[in-house]
Amino acid sequence: MRTEDTAPALPKSFLRPCLLLLLREQPAHGYELLERLRPLGFAGDDPGGLYRALRALESDGLVHSAWEPSRSGPDRRIYELTRAGMEELHRRSKSLVRARSTLDVFLSRYGEFVALDDAPVAAAPSRANR
Amino acid sequence: MSELDALRVREEVLQAMYWMRSEGLGETPSAAELARFLAVPAGTLLPYLERFVEEGYLEHVGDDFGLTPLGIESGKRTFAEEFADLTRPGHGECDADCWCHDSPEEAARCLEERVQHAH
Repeated sequence: MRTEDTAPALPKSFLRPCLLLLLREQPAHGYELLERLRPLGFAGDDPGGLYRALRALESDGLVHSAWEPSRSGPDRRIYELTRAGMEELHRRSKSLVRARSTLDVFLSRYGEFVALDDAPVAAAPSRANR
Repeated sequence: MSELDALRVREEVLQAMYWMRSEGLGETPSAAELARFLAVPAGTLLPYLERFVEEGYLEHVGDDFGLTPLGIESGKRTFAEEFADLTRPGHGECDADCWCHDSPEEAARCLEERVQHAH
């Protein structure tokens, strides 16, 4: 699933824990998930990526879905987290904490050369300027 | 294309189109849109789509494709069946709502498995 051009580079397969997190918060339909992914850095313009990710999660037993009857249109698939999904979310979250620690070390050391908050990418110093 | 491939692709396409339709993401996608959705090459998918039109699962809507009533029914049903094995009660967990009551054949199979495991 594509992310915003201006969004930070996200960890590989970040969509999976994000979907698990959203479903930990509450069961949801596909379109709703698409919308709720935006604040997590996903552009929301790749429903196919979402569809394939949900099917993979369900195939892995991390998510369960069922048809929910609708009065105003076709039945919709509603997704919810399974017990295994909850455990996987916890594992991935702990892994992200470790990744954040590593990134903090990296950024702290790079921060000795340049203040990142104010520096556009193009202005990053070359080795010759160090 | 082999019959097995056609069957597999048919289920995948019908399920995806039913899901798109139910989520309000479009009822008549083009071949390119469907290919992007399923992450497959459009040139590979198109002959299958034409075959599914001939079989009565899809219909042409201009240059795009829509589900026929047969396609709608099949897409919804096979979607539910796809992961049914993951959620069905295991052997010995049968109760009044058990999946084995769906048909006489399923009930017989369930009973047979129970007898076998009892020995």
